[in-house]
Amino acid sequence: MGVIVGPRVIDAGVSLLSVLVSPMPVAAGFPSPAQDYFDGRIDLNAHLIKDVTGTYVVRVSGESMEGAGISDGDELIVDRALEPHDGSVVVAVLDGELTIKRLRITPTGVILQAENPAYPDIAVPALSDLSIWGTAVRCLHHV
Amino acid sequence: MSKPALMRHMPQIAHVDVNCFYASAERAFDPSLEGKPVIVLSNNDGCAVTRSPEAKALGIAMGEPWFKLAPRAKEWGLVALSSNYELYGDISARVMELLGRYSAWLEVYSIDEAFLGVKGTPSELASLGTSMKAAVRRNVGVPVCVGIAPTKTLAKLANKWAKNNKGFAGVCHWDSVPAAEREALLGRLSVEEVWGIAGRLTRRLNGMGIFTIADLVRADPVAIRDKFNVVVMRTVLELQGTPCIPMEEERIGRDQLIFSRSFAKPITTAAGIRQVMSVYGQQASARLAKHGLQAKVLTAFAGTSHFNPKDTSYPSVCVPLPMPTADPVILTKAGHALLPRIVEGVRYARAGIMVTDLRPSGNQAPLSLFENPHEERHIGTLLEDVTRRYGRGSIGLGHGGIRGGPDWTMKRDMLSPRYTTHWGELPLVKAA
Repeated sequence: MGVIVGPRVIDAGVSLLSVLVSPMPVAAGFPSPAQDYFDGRIDLNAHLIKDVTGTYVVRVSGESMEGAGISDGDELIVDRALEPHDGSVVVAVLDGELTIKRLRITPTGVILQAENPAYPDIAVPALSDLSIWGTAVRCLHHV
Repeated sequence: MSKPALMRHMPQIAHVDVNCFYASAERAFDPSLEGKPVIVLSNNDGCAVTRSPEAKALGIAMGEPWFKLAPRAKEWGLVALSSNYELYGDISARVMELLGRYSAWLEVYSIDEAFLGVKGTPSELASLGTSMKAAVRRNVGVPVCVGIAPTKTLAKLANKWAKNNKGFAGVCHWDSVPAAEREALLGRLSVEEVWGIAGRLTRRLNGMGIFTIADLVRADPVAIRDKFNVVVMRTVLELQGTPCIPMEEERIGRDQLIFSRSFAKPITTAAGIRQVMSVYGQQASARLAKHGLQAKVLTAFAGTSHFNPKDTSYPSVCVPLPMPTADPVILTKAGHALLPRIVEGVRYARAGIMVTDLRPSGNQAPLSLFENPHEERHIGTLLEDVTRRYGRGSIGLGHGGIRGGPDWTMKRDMLSPRYTTHWGELPLVKAA
């Protein structure tokens, strides 16, 4: 699992203050020999977000997904446009709350699985009975 | 050219808007609000500006003051929320960006509605409407309705019909509805249901024996122009199916001001978009000043044409302004927040800005201080003189001159988290 430390902005509001100050020092004197090779810094948005219109960042509260490497306080990048399938880590609506579970689609029914033996699985009669909010595509795990 | 072939090539207008926008945006992140009566309050928690259907069913009127509703809120199970403009601005930008993929000809009409130019056979148009609706629901998480018709006025009407008649499943393609049904509807609806016709105009039309939309459709456009004006004549022509309200590039609403434009020639550089943003920033400033308004949030966006599916890019940013402002410099700089997201070499067909969370600028007119060339009016020495005589904070440029608590710190006691624009307020998902 990729680990990203201290991400700042994922297509969120940009503070005006960050706009007023140029992030690049203004060169005076000799041009840097590296200048021609500078192609822009790595943009996490470009690599981690496929479709900004359907991507949200959420924060995990609880330990039931520890086995999937998702800990309390981690941030998840959730893509709502993806079709969830068996094995997807999904954000589902349960009792009016956003809940994170592993989706299992079996011949006998649909199960929302916890990734921690201390937490029970939840059986759902059919996929259509389930309201899936989005599919987690990345975990920003705090190391 | 045969008639069906001609019809295939006639552009139509799709009108898309979000159902109960503010309440739907809140529900997208707090599913516990689903099924409950929800209202969103205006600035300073004044009165209800958005009502969920459940709240409407309780008899809560648009604009009803919160202090009157508050005592009964608990008994009703009514949830009242302060206006979360950061959230609404971002959700709006996402909806508009997604809609822009369906047509290069997009007019963002307000924070929650847009007109799109669309083409196709009746069945293509109906399925286009259905797929737009599904995409916004799936990606962004809010419900929309779609009306598609030969004119803007009819598209608005078709949308309203789609909203109020479950049989349409949220999408109404006007021309696909049997003529008899359309006529029955027009004969049933009052003229004031028509876009642009309200209050006094309705009474004057009633006085002429025009009560229903069908009556207005039958009216002679020229006679209407002579009796009223060219605007009402256009409405009649539009109802008859003749498009005459062009796509607009600028619009001021109760709550937002929008400048957007499709370019005659694509812009391919961030420098080009920078210029466009500067122009919009200044236009927005002038327009805000004219209406005595200041803005608190600015959204900037750009997009490529959908006719060029190879290099697509639809950047947008939502910038909370540091204070309510109509200052061209600040608005322009905020618009420039879009520039890092502009991909060099990509052909942008459209760009725009939207300023939201508007409020009256109050008695002080800070804008005049920014008008050029202010140096000639000895503002600097005037400021010094006043400060010397009346003390610090008695006068200043913009918000520098506000004495005491700034009047723009809005009361938002029932504010939901700014889920999508503030890292500390992300939606929580339960792992339990």
